[in-house]
Amino acid sequence: MARSLWTGSLSFGLVNVPVALYSGVVDTDLHFRQLHAKDHTPIEIHRFCSKEDAEVGFDEVGHGYDRDGKQVILTDEELAAAAPEKTRTIDIEAFVDLDDVDPIHYDHPYILMPAGDADGTQRAYRLLLEVMGGTEQAALGRFVLRTKEYLALIRVRDGRLTLTTMLFHDEVRPASKVPTPGKDSKPSKKELDRAVAVIEALSCPWDPSRYEDQYTKRLKRVVKRKEKGQTVKPPEREEEPSPVPDLMAALEKTLAEVKAR
Amino acid sequence: MPRSIWNGTVAFGLISVPVKVFSATESKTVRFQEVHLEDGARIEHRRICPNDGKEIDYDDIVKGFEVRKGEWVELTDEEIAAAVGSQSRVVDVDHFVPAEEIDPVYYERTYYLGSRDDGDDAYALLLAALERSGRAGVGRWVFHNRERTVLVRAHGDVLAMHTMRFADELADPGDFELGRVNRKPTKREIEMASALVDGLHTEFDPTDYKDSYRRAVLKLIERKAGGKEIELPEEPEPEPSADLVAALEASMKGRRGKRRSAGAKRRSRSRRRSRSRS
Repeated sequence: MARSLWTGSLSFGLVNVPVALYSGVVDTDLHFRQLHAKDHTPIEIHRFCSKEDAEVGFDEVGHGYDRDGKQVILTDEELAAAAPEKTRTIDIEAFVDLDDVDPIHYDHPYILMPAGDADGTQRAYRLLLEVMGGTEQAALGRFVLRTKEYLALIRVRDGRLTLTTMLFHDEVRPASKVPTPGKDSKPSKKELDRAVAVIEALSCPWDPSRYEDQYTKRLKRVVKRKEKGQTVKPPEREEEPSPVPDLMAALEKTLAEVKAR
Repeated sequence: MPRSIWNGTVAFGLISVPVKVFSATESKTVRFQEVHLEDGARIEHRRICPNDGKEIDYDDIVKGFEVRKGEWVELTDEEIAAAVGSQSRVVDVDHFVPAEEIDPVYYERTYYLGSRDDGDDAYALLLAALERSGRAGVGRWVFHNRERTVLVRAHGDVLAMHTMRFADELADPGDFELGRVNRKPTKREIEMASALVDGLHTEFDPTDYKDSYRRAVLKLIERKAGGKEIELPEEPEPEPSADLVAALEASMKGRRGKRRSAGAKRRSRSRRRSRSRS
């Protein structure tokens, strides 16, 4: 099993469950390394003090913050002192309906597992599974992972607790400054009916298994071709289509095409 | 609003909607620089050859992929970019799905789509039709030489576009083994915990949750700047509650006190649904 990224307590009322956090994603990307051109030795990155021009060990590195031109330095330990309880505990503050949460907030998925074999831990975890499974409710809490606090959404997914970090309200930019059409662009009832008919005709259930990472597949092919000494050329930039002048005509034609399939 | 990061077209059927893409999110973490504790000087990351310990010039570095142990295939940035398949400027939305069926784990990042050029009518039409149908369009988007699956949906007065994770990028929860328990949770424990969940049920309002850590870090910086000592906390081991029933009971008592002041936002009974997401 993968290594846990964080351990702490999940607290639900006065019930405490020691938990370990694991990444909910598996890395399927192809990773490239930086190599020394002349002999293909993978290079290493070392930390150097810019003043002394000498290498610095990881434990000699601190966090510098520019405070109006004057630098304040914090050590790892001092930074951890900012909100110690938040770095160790995910305190469930509320339960909400999943449908009420705008997906704009979702950040990164993790899996929460009980930490340790203690019977009390395992039982409390099972109790949460039992109570939270089968509902469309999710628990909300906050916790600090590395050096950032997250809002966390916790639910049962396939028999385990899944934690999805969320962005805070002020980390979502207001949409009000995005350029949008004025009132005079409002579609006619007939246009809207046709557009909805097109959408209905092209609708299907959400099936995540139908989407494949074509990019990674192609990247593997690129590596193979290069290995055989073949040349690889990037694709040409394509032209953009121009907007259709007659929306209604385009809708009718689309609908006819979709129905003919 | 900062500047748009991509200009292109969202197409559905024969309708094309020219759009500008904007980031919908920004991280508000307090940012630090790596510094040498001893003298406060900036830390530089230097590229070092492990054979001779010497720094390597940027021009002498290439990208490689390890095909077999110790055997590298060298690739230029242009060659890596070739994997994009097409340099299309079009997000071709070719089918639509009910967005509420999508599990939150698939959402990666969100962007706003702004209208541009003479595309206002088509933009307004797509937005209104998505809104009315309650569906979201699925397409592919080529951005930074990488193709992603995207979901286009109505978000109030704007179109929002989410990049989506692929199913095979997600860890399978079943791969994480659960430990054994001597005794399953009892009916009484389940009832009490359910009542506690119901008591904590509220309507989601994102403004209810503030990042208190950010403020705490800034305060810490002020204390340090003022020359004050920073007390380091002890690290207690997390402990499970010894008696579940007692902890649940005590939690219920605590909630009853709090609940009166929580106001009308809380609903007494939670909605329970059987619909599942995938």
